[in-house]
Amino acid sequence: MIDLVNVSRLYHRGADEIHALERVSLHVERQRFVALMGPSGSGKSTLLNVLAGLDRPDSGDVTVANQRLNDLSEDELAAFRAHTVGFVFQFFNLIPVLSAVENVELPLLLTNLSRAERRQRAETALRVVGLADRGSHRPRELSGGEQQRVAIARSIVTDAELIVADEPTGDLDAKNAEEILSLLQTLRRDFGKTVVIVTHDPRAEKWVDEVIHLDKGVLLETRPGGAARAGVAG
Amino acid sequence: MKYLPLVIRNLGRNKIRSLLTGFAIAISIALVCILRTMPAGLDNIIARASGTTRISTHNEAGIVYSLPYAYLAKVRAVPGVSAAISWNWFGGAVDVTKGVEFANFAVDPDQLAQVYPDWNLPQSAFDDFAKYRNAALVNQATLDQQKWKVGDEVTLTSTVFPVSLTFKIVGAIPQQGNTTFYFQREYLAQALQDAGVNFDTTGMIWSRVDDPGRVGAVMAQIDELFHNSDAVTTSETESSFVGNFFSSIKQIVAIIQIVAGVVTLCIVFIAANTASMSIRERVGEIAILKAMGFRKQTIFATLLAEAGLLALVAGAAGALVAWGGLELLHSKFNAAQPGGMGALTSFVVSGTILVQAIFVSFFIGILSGWIPALGASRRSVAQTLREVF
Amino acid sequence: MALPLSYSWRSMYARGTRTLFTVAVIALVVVAITLFWSLIGSLKRTLVASGSPYNLVVMRKGATNDGSSQVPLEAYQAIRFFEGIAKDAQGNPLVSPELVVQPFFHTASGARENVLVRGVDPVALQVHDEVHIAEGRMFQPSSGEAVVGKTIAQRYAGAQLGKTVHFGTGNWKIVGVLESGGSTFESEVWVDARQLADDAKRSVPYSAFRVRVAPGADMDALARRIEGDQRWSLQAKPELDYYESLMSTAKVLYFIVASLAIFAGMGAIFGATNTMYAAVQARISEIGTLRALGFSRGTILLAFLVESIMIAGVGFAVGALAAALLAVAISASLGGVGLPALTFTTNVVVLRVAPQDLVMPFLLALLIGLLGGLFPAAAAARLRPVEALRKA
Repeated sequence: MIDLVNVSRLYHRGADEIHALERVSLHVERQRFVALMGPSGSGKSTLLNVLAGLDRPDSGDVTVANQRLNDLSEDELAAFRAHTVGFVFQFFNLIPVLSAVENVELPLLLTNLSRAERRQRAETALRVVGLADRGSHRPRELSGGEQQRVAIARSIVTDAELIVADEPTGDLDAKNAEEILSLLQTLRRDFGKTVVIVTHDPRAEKWVDEVIHLDKGVLLETRPGGAARAGVAG
Repeated sequence: MKYLPLVIRNLGRNKIRSLLTGFAIAISIALVCILRTMPAGLDNIIARASGTTRISTHNEAGIVYSLPYAYLAKVRAVPGVSAAISWNWFGGAVDVTKGVEFANFAVDPDQLAQVYPDWNLPQSAFDDFAKYRNAALVNQATLDQQKWKVGDEVTLTSTVFPVSLTFKIVGAIPQQGNTTFYFQREYLAQALQDAGVNFDTTGMIWSRVDDPGRVGAVMAQIDELFHNSDAVTTSETESSFVGNFFSSIKQIVAIIQIVAGVVTLCIVFIAANTASMSIRERVGEIAILKAMGFRKQTIFATLLAEAGLLALVAGAAGALVAWGGLELLHSKFNAAQPGGMGALTSFVVSGTILVQAIFVSFFIGILSGWIPALGASRRSVAQTLREVF
Repeated sequence: MALPLSYSWRSMYARGTRTLFTVAVIALVVVAITLFWSLIGSLKRTLVASGSPYNLVVMRKGATNDGSSQVPLEAYQAIRFFEGIAKDAQGNPLVSPELVVQPFFHTASGARENVLVRGVDPVALQVHDEVHIAEGRMFQPSSGEAVVGKTIAQRYAGAQLGKTVHFGTGNWKIVGVLESGGSTFESEVWVDARQLADDAKRSVPYSAFRVRVAPGADMDALARRIEGDQRWSLQAKPELDYYESLMSTAKVLYFIVASLAIFAGMGAIFGATNTMYAAVQARISEIGTLRALGFSRGTILLAFLVESIMIAGVGFAVGALAAALLAVAISASLGGVGLPALTFTTNVVVLRVAPQDLVMPFLLALLIGLLGGLFPAAAAARLRPVEALRKA
């Protein structure tokens, strides 16, 4: 599903050069739940952005879902994200002026689906995350956990193969964090998604198949997560 | 179109701001419309007098210089002239302490109908006018101003001649905007003869040319006729005459245009301020949309549509307010006010002005949103995500 | 405890672009208002400067201006010897019989305008004592000579000193240029009265008289005597009132200014309110801190109001300067602004922004600042410190 070969990414901050990624190679199978972990500034968010088609590497090859992202133009990258990737963010990032169901429906505006089909799919996605009855609420009327579940519904509504999440539990309490991680595991197990999250929440380890550690832009180690050890893999 | 709900929702995001901006734009557009009506009103007056086959013959020295009355017969004899009448300014006042409130002229009744077919009066009115020595044909605007009606007897005291005359109104000219009053030259001539004043001049001769293609030739022929006499004439078409008559307010009109431009620029700043505020506080959201796969053109277009829609709706409202308001004000000013400045108040927000205003406001909206929208749509997602979240 | 002015000043400065936009909006409104207001002011100054407090204008009853009046010769001969009229050194009464006609003149660009030509006797320069010959000399009677007002020479083709200009039915040699301290006489041409009457074929030689009242004499009594004389139907108006009445031309201009002030002012108020709301929103935590430090609601309200008024003040200054420059540019490029007077003739007004023309625009800018700041400032003052700190 995901193949990164010798990927490097450099930032300039003033006169300084920051090596966000240095010759990172990574392979993730289809239908895996993977956590990228590491301290702040380790390059894990950059790695996520690169494999989700948000950012381009300075060197190295990125292939996701059989597409070589290096070859794609900005617009093609946008189309790739629209079809293949679903995003979940730390601060949920719902559009405040739209209701929950309208937020979920938003990515479907990029498809040719009819109005009625769009609404139906959005409602289905909300059901999957257990918020079928909250569709008409505005984001500020929902709790943090509910908002994050709406965001997850939004990420799966296009039937994207790859779900990426940057610190999905970072702004949630323990109970909600567990629920979100469980929901992400369900996506991988019951819906066949590939899920990649960036987190430094140690609780995540027991839900994922694989934990990838980074520090200072370098991939340190890959080890199986709790889910793999418990033999959840289907 | 499927993005329209999103655009509308975004406008509702900060209702106070959208409302304030909308009001500011609407009011400014209304003002621009009002200012634009003034030059346009002037053009209208000139266009209304578009009698290009009606020509004015007057003294080359100026319209206050007279011509011998005998010229009328000579003009009528010129080939191509189908009808002609003389005009004398009477300067009659209803009440001398108020001065002259409307234009009143002594004219020849016999060919009046042929010279002014555009008055749309029934032939019977012209017949009555010719039949009764003291008859008067009065513009409806004058009747409204003085609260007179057809059949009334009214007395005017001249400020030019030493006479007062009593007239019977026999017809109302339904033309809008002009406050005028016409009566028989013969009636004035008799009164002046009784007062011992010799009356053998006229101020102006209006004639009608039957062939539009020959107007220039006929004018040249008339002026040639009097070339070597005491009173040299200038002939010009009615539209040229009216245009010249108002030439002295053209500079005011130029200043009004400058001010209208200044106000338009004002709208650009009001709209641009709002567009930049509302886009700047949304950079994060825009980054999310891009992450989801929205193309930058789509984002740019929706942001522009937002600014354009607000300006368009506000501008249309402003234009309508200007139109409605001026219809109410319309009666306040007299378009024939002596001095010609009254011409500036023949306010009509014409269809053209409405369309222009709406188009301009939409254009302003787009213009004001362009730079912030472009900036926001071009921002790199990864960078925004790093900086904002 | 009040916040120092520099707090408002620096806050205004800190939000560069938005403040700049609002300043621009207010400045543009000020430009628009100032242009029209100073146009009215310039016209007023021209007409007000035209009257003498010691002169009466004698016209036919019902005439609104001397150009549409006719007065009989006998009336002139009789009125000269009325009591209360000033006399010159030789004992001749200071009564100026005048004939006004409005022949065509052509501007340099070919436009045709009616110009006020005043036929006068030599006594006119004594009655209109503000008028003097600035260049050249006064015309000689019956010689086909003319003197022209300063703006006439600038505006019309061939109307300069030393040239011969055609108007009416004859040719006139220009031998002098009139100045009258910016009054309307500078938009006139003066020629010999009898010669003008011949030229215009007027059987009645005079339009009106100007009468100088003797020092200490009762002007009203003289006016009543002239008006009461049953032989002629005349009216006698103080010259100041007469020129004031010609201002009615400016009614339309007043209307334009009023609508500009109301509409553009309201637009600017909304714009300023918008900006100040944004300023309050951007500084919620700052306001919370200030409140926590113990600044009162009144102080916060005042600080935001002061900031808004400062923005309006800067807008006013920029706008006034721009308007003054624009006025100079307009006047220079148009050769003075031609305004139609009641007489159908053209009054040339030099468009200039005088200090008193700035009072109205200043008050408007102040109002914009005050009203634009009011609601946002009140909103800022209403914030509770804890809430404000949390929101940040």
